[in-house]
Amino acid sequence: MIKRIAVFGYNRLSFDAISRLDQKSHDILIIETDPSLIKLAQEKAFKTISIDFRSDGDLKSIGIGQDIDIIFCFLPNDSENVFLTLSARAIDKNLNIIAVVESAQAAEKLIAAGANKIIDPYQICGQKIYELIKKPDITHIIDHTVFGRHDLHIAEITIPEGSSLDNTYASELIQNKKQDLVIFGIVYNKLGKVLHFTAGEQDRKLAVGDIIVVLGPSREINAFKKETSHV
Amino acid sequence: MFAQAIVYFSYFLKRNKQYTKTKQFFFNLLENPESQMKSYFDGFMICLVMLSVFFLVYSVEHTLNDTAEWFEQFVIFIFISEYLLRGWLYSDTHRIIINEYEKADYLNIKFSLFKTLKQIIGKKLRYIFSFFAIIDLLAILPSYRPLRILRVLLIFRLFKLFRYSNSIKIFSDVLISKRFELITLAIFMGFLVFIASIAIYLFENKSAGGHIRHLYDAFYWSIVTISTVGYGDITPQTVGGRLVTVTLILTGLGVLSFFTSIIVAAFNDKMDALRENRTYSELSRFKSYIIICGFGRVGQEVAELFKRDGQDFIIIDKDEKEILVAKQKQFLAIHDDAGNNSVLINAGINRGATAILCATGSDIANVYITLTSRHLNPEITIISRANRQDSENKLYQAGANDVIQPFKIAGLLAAEYIGQPVAFETIRSILHEQKQIIMDTLIVSSNSLLENIKIDQLDLENRKLTLLGVISSNIKHKKHRNHYQVKNQHFYFNPEQHFELQEQDILVILGRKYSIEYFQDQIKQSSIIL
Repeated sequence: MIKRIAVFGYNRLSFDAISRLDQKSHDILIIETDPSLIKLAQEKAFKTISIDFRSDGDLKSIGIGQDIDIIFCFLPNDSENVFLTLSARAIDKNLNIIAVVESAQAAEKLIAAGANKIIDPYQICGQKIYELIKKPDITHIIDHTVFGRHDLHIAEITIPEGSSLDNTYASELIQNKKQDLVIFGIVYNKLGKVLHFTAGEQDRKLAVGDIIVVLGPSREINAFKKETSHV
Repeated sequence: MFAQAIVYFSYFLKRNKQYTKTKQFFFNLLENPESQMKSYFDGFMICLVMLSVFFLVYSVEHTLNDTAEWFEQFVIFIFISEYLLRGWLYSDTHRIIINEYEKADYLNIKFSLFKTLKQIIGKKLRYIFSFFAIIDLLAILPSYRPLRILRVLLIFRLFKLFRYSNSIKIFSDVLISKRFELITLAIFMGFLVFIASIAIYLFENKSAGGHIRHLYDAFYWSIVTISTVGYGDITPQTVGGRLVTVTLILTGLGVLSFFTSIIVAAFNDKMDALRENRTYSELSRFKSYIIICGFGRVGQEVAELFKRDGQDFIIIDKDEKEILVAKQKQFLAIHDDAGNNSVLINAGINRGATAILCATGSDIANVYITLTSRHLNPEITIISRANRQDSENKLYQAGANDVIQPFKIAGLLAAEYIGQPVAFETIRSILHEQKQIIMDTLIVSSNSLLENIKIDQLDLENRKLTLLGVISSNIKHKKHRNHYQVKNQHFYFNPEQHFELQEQDILVILGRKYSIEYFQDQIKQSSIIL
């Protein structure tokens, strides 16, 4: 299923986020009014549109409230992002809204306005620096593999309807896995949205809808995905 | 012959390690402001002085018993030892002799013992007449029996307290910095008092019907009046006398306020320097800390995390507003430009700092600070923030170990959140140690139980740990599959069961905090026993 994403504001942040997303499974639309930025976006072959985000009609015209699944509020001002979040939330209750914040106080306002996820670049940067000081080796591995160019990823796999894994034990999954993967943990649907790590935890039964989080090369991940969907 | 013996003895002292060590010990005990011992000694001396003064006050109305006498002897002994030791530490006599001897030898002239002796005595005399040495001496002398009359001088022991705290030095520094103003004021006041004394004496002497008997009374009255204290024991009776009084009181108000304003202004000027001194002295107590350059949003975030972690750090920022924020949060902060060599040296880049974070909002400043730091300390870890893509390479060139771009990683995280929210939260919670499960590294130290062990012998399942991989720069492992270049090492993901661990390999482990810690302890122990 292709997800439709509307990205408000074209800048470093949106460029990195878009490039990171799988282009095949995401339909991305950039909303920008600055002609020079539109030109830059078009050079990268992104779809762009110039609308006024302050008008509900314009928002609806690009598909918010209909087929847009996610919006990125990456406008330069916190107040603009709050306004956009508020308008979009009013149009669509189920929209997944991700917003960037500049100043720390704006985060609460964005949450109150209805954003699902707040991205605070400075906070993230600060945490990153902290991680680099405290655990340099692990941070480097994650940077170079999961976020980097190397083909090593953390992936989540949802157990589909009729999977062979349904009604088996987590311990069996770990012992019988053929692929070159490390299983981090499992989110059991019944137990809420909490990740249970596999190492030394209580053995539980898997069910349809549970999510397995694994680390490994993409071919192994794909093979594992195929196997889980196997009846 | 005698001179030669002395020179020989000086060389002997110079070579003698025991002598140097002893002298260093007493230097640390008495004079070295950075030594821990000195602060203990100062505390001990303060107690001693207070106790001895307590006995002095007590003896005014009571008679002391033997214990108090013994205590007094002990105090005197300590005071005398301290006085002599400080005199000994003040200059290195043997070094003066050696210097003079070598100079004479080089110039091919006769070594003059007399001249050298003069120099030595000159040095020691300078000690004897230094302010604190006089105070020390005055605190001792009254205990000498023939000088018992001077017992009141024991009050000088209280002055000794100043030696053990910095406040007197600060106060005298402040006064010295305003020398010119204070002298002007003193001269003006001298004239004023002189004129007023003469005037009041002329108006208020006995024959004129006043209370002033002589010039000393007049002087006393002037001082009491000019300071606006006005006891009222001597009051003017004549019209002329009252006029003098009114004039003197009004001028006195001016003089007083002038004096106060000079002192206040001087303290204000010195305050910044004083605060900075306090910052540096606090910094010198830290064993290992991190220098954060730039206290913007990123710097604040890192500082909060370090604080939660108990990690010591110091902030350097050019912007006064940011420094104010830092001070309000009670962080150590220096208001200066981190691109300055001297600022970084003062902040301890070569002393206790383990890492430098360049987190200012300007890439130019970050490159400059990185370059300066790398130049000053080739070993230190430098992590720098880059706001523009182009700056990343420049920062690496300048010597940064790691470069972080806030918007880039924020973009990556936003994408990760969209694609795989669960995986995203997993990484976050592991990195931030929000759950009990953490990711950590174990180093294979030489001779430990891990060395030359195969993965299947590690018994990870029983230890309730998950092995993610091994970081190593060892070429032996190259034949194994799934290796990824990470910096100048390789990360071997999910190594096979026959993977043999080598010295200095790093295991990347996922598990509960305490099972990792337990394993870590076992490894450490095993490497010690063998």
